[in-house]
Amino acid sequence: MPEFLLLAATVILLMVAVGLVRILRGPADVDRLMAVQLLGTGGIAALLLLGIATSLPGAVDVALVLALLAAFAAVIFVTSLDSP
Amino acid sequence: MTVPAILRRGAGFLALWLVLAGLNPGDLPAAIVAVVAATWVSLRLLPPGDRIISLPGLGALAVRFPRQSLEAGIDVARRAFAPDLPLNVGTVGYTPRLPAGPARDAFLAYASLMPGTVPVSVNGGVTIMIHCLDTRQAVVQQMANDEARFIRMLGGADA
Amino acid sequence: MMLLGDIATGLLVSAGVVFFLAGTVGLLRFPDSMTRLHALTKADSLGLGLVVLGLLPQAASVLEALKLVAVWLLTQLAGATVTQLVARAIWRGGGRS
Repeated sequence: MPEFLLLAATVILLMVAVGLVRILRGPADVDRLMAVQLLGTGGIAALLLLGIATSLPGAVDVALVLALLAAFAAVIFVTSLDSP
Repeated sequence: MTVPAILRRGAGFLALWLVLAGLNPGDLPAAIVAVVAATWVSLRLLPPGDRIISLPGLGALAVRFPRQSLEAGIDVARRAFAPDLPLNVGTVGYTPRLPAGPARDAFLAYASLMPGTVPVSVNGGVTIMIHCLDTRQAVVQQMANDEARFIRMLGGADA
Repeated sequence: MMLLGDIATGLLVSAGVVFFLAGTVGLLRFPDSMTRLHALTKADSLGLGLVVLGLLPQAASVLEALKLVAVWLLTQLAGATVTQLVARAIWRGGGRS
């Protein structure tokens, strides 16, 4: 089971990384933000999988912090769009 | 701001702490600081209203949510994977029963996770726009049903 | 019992992976910012939900399972809120490059 969970984590990370092509393409800044948000959610999923697969409870805490940071990043980003 | 309202918030944050950090006596000082700080910030940012969340209403929403989330994900996935990209994008006007305010904003955030719709409130006006992936779907009906459920969860027969 | 849990984990986590793929494909293929927002919000929140659901049978304790659910709830809350913020930003015409 741990091998399967680690594989799933790797595949998810690879896929959201492909989504980062949106950062290059844009065209709008919000499109770039969305790619980063997708990476955030994928990262959370990968960390949770990692935490359970390796019985490393700390990974779940890291996932929680990532969730927090992704949300704050988005709020600051959107606020900065209004006041350039 | 009543004492029970403050205590309810505090109890909620304490429960969240216990789930996230576990029950360790050594953590007690940190837990107290965190819970008090979180309660204070939360009460400042979102003062308690007179609504008391109805548990049966919340239960009904919680039972329905997974199915709708699944429906929403499948709808998006089906369109994304289809070679001809079947989209029929458009916006539909909608007048929420909830007045502009935190309750309406909460409902709109909730409705963003529902199939096919992302509601957009424009400057807190009476009418909002619903952005749809497919305007042929019964979007307004679905929003009205979801809003009725949401209002029941907020403990009101109506807005 | 153990086996049943493992099968559930395999199915649910695999389904979650598919929805992360759908989120990426939607983000790359959908024609404008608003439709991409649909793809992001719906597909990745379901993907994470399925992964969390699939991990529950593998959780070492009830507390760990509750914690996974709490992480999922918080990300749903944050995701829905961010979606609203981004939607309003797009609507205001903000976010042009």
